[in-house]
Parts: sequence; C-alpha cells; structure tokens
Amino acid sequence: MATVEPTVALDAETGAAIRDLILVLADSKRLLGMRYAEWILGAPELEAGIACASMAQDEWGHARLLYSLLRDFGEDVVMLEHGREPSAYFSMEALDRPAAEWTDLVALNAFADTALSLQLEALRGTSYAPVRQRVEKMLEEERFHAAHGEAWFRRVADSGDVARAALRASAERVLPGLLRWFGPDSPRAAGLVRQRVVDAAGSELRQRFIAAVQPLLERVGSDFSPAEPPDFGGFNESSRRVSTEGPDPETIARVRGDLNRAFRLD
Amino acid sequence: MVYEVFARKSRGEPLRHIGNLNAPDDALARVYAYSKYDEEKWFDMWIVPRDRFIEVFNRADVEPARAATAAGG
Repeated sequence: MATVEPTVALDAETGAAIRDLILVLADSKRLLGMRYAEWILGAPELEAGIACASMAQDEWGHARLLYSLLRDFGEDVVMLEHGREPSAYFSMEALDRPAAEWTDLVALNAFADTALSLQLEALRGTSYAPVRQRVEKMLEEERFHAAHGEAWFRRVADSGDVARAALRASAERVLPGLLRWFGPDSPRAAGLVRQRVVDAAGSELRQRFIAAVQPLLERVGSDFSPAEPPDFGGFNESSRRVSTEGPDPETIARVRGDLNRAFRLD
Repeated sequence: MVYEVFARKSRGEPLRHIGNLNAPDDALARVYAYSKYDEEKWFDMWIVPRDRFIEVFNRADVEPARAATAAGG
C-alpha cells in the first residue's frame, strides 16, 4: 500500500543522481515508445502491429508519469517534454535510430526494454517515495512487453538459418551499449545503493541483465561474451551516454510535437 | 492459428466471448490477447485455440428452419 511520507531532505548529490535517473528512464521510455510506434504499420502480422501500438502507449504513459516526478526537482516539465534539443536527451543510445529491420525491433524489445525494466525493478522498494508509489504499475505492464520480446525472439530464432543470423546480428549490435548503459561502480552509484534509492547498480545490475538475456543469446547461437567492466571512456554518468549527439532530430521533432505547437493548450 | 478470447469483469460473473485473434503459438497468443483486448478493466482473461472447441450440438444441423427463425433470419 502506498504511504505518504513527508519529503525527506535529500543531500544535493543524491538528489541530482535521482533526478538524472528519472530523466534517463523517462527519455528512454519516450524514445522506445517511438521505436515501437514506427512498427505499428510495418509489423509482420496485424496482431504484432497492435502489440507495438499497445507497448508504445504504455511507454509514453510511463514517460509522462516519470517526467511529472521531475517537478519536485524544480524542473519545468513542459520544457522537458517539448523544448529540448536532441543533444539534451538522456535516452539510451540503442534508441537513437529507428529499428531498420523487424529483427532490430525484436532485439530492442527483448533487450532494451528488459534493461529498462531491470532498472525499474531495482527501484521497487526505493527509499524515494514518489517513485516507489509508481513502480509496481509500470512493471505490471512491462510483463507483457517482456513476453512479447521473448516470444518473438524465440519465433525468429527457430524459423531458419537466415532469420536466426539476422537476429543474432541485431542482438550483438545492441548489447554492448546496453551493458555499458548500467554504468560504472562509481561513488555515485554506490551512494544510491547506500541510501537505498536502488537495491543494486552498475555491475550488479549488469549481471542481472546478462542472466536475463543469456537464454535468448544461446537460442541464436551467439557466443557474445561481455567485457567486465565495459569500456567507460567518454561515458557521461548523468545521461548514461557516450555520444553527445542525441537521437535523430526527426524523431525528437515528432516527440516534442513541433507540428502541433499551435494546438498545444497546456 | 485462430484463438478465441474470453473475459469477465468480476469474479463469479460468467466468462464472456470478447473476440478472437491470429497467433502462431500460445506464447504470442497470450500477448496479443492482452494488447488487443485490455482496453477495459477485466478481472481475468482466457484464450482457447479455436480447433480445441468441441461441438456438443448445433440446432442448424437438425432443424435448419427453426434455427434460422430463432436467429431472426
């Protein structure tokens, strides 16, 4: 049961780390929603297109909810949602470009969505009450995203050599960046664990992720073995990115609603 | 494979047929049922492959005229 707690005064460092984490999740979910939406019309079967629409809707809902939590950190939420340039986004680099092939979309579904859910699960009993009250509902919806990703992954993996090789390539393209995304075992990460904001960070979350995706990698005959720790050269711990370019500008123009500016009433 | 989808609003209420879907296997059928029919707040939802339905009887086989009348046809 959700409990209302008086706002605990966070030290500046922990506050900044929580704020960054919420923005990372919100931006990533917003972009993942776009990547799902791009396949509503092109999916291999009608039902898969409907599933993409449903998952996009879930991700955008989660993103809105997460953005709204940033008000407590003095953020202008309207500006965050509609005013930023691509370079200001904290979204996963794996989501910077549309999924070119269905196997790329399946890899994002099975791996990127799973990475986000594992990060959310680490927030399950978080000491930061405003997030704790919202995590369960998001995870409940995410169960079906995981089921969709896994079912499609297995289906493509079992449907012939060409399809399996394509899926293996899509999976191996997206994995290194996702492993790095969990971040280093830094003082900042340790601080979040110590303050019980998250139950794990950095390499421990990475291990959970590897355990979750290992059966799927075996299914496509991948012998991908991750370097631990990943190369964190140029890694920005706030945005969890190396590239400073951000997602493709066309997608950002669409998520910002640039074409609808005249009709935006909020 | 075609799956038929059933759901109900509350415990104790009879299951209601709410639609169908196409899926290659049970795992995807479950996900598709959720994404296609979860707009309403269901208490529970079930799917059955159409080819697992067993006909008990069908009035149209024995009384075509009466069946047509009853259906308003």
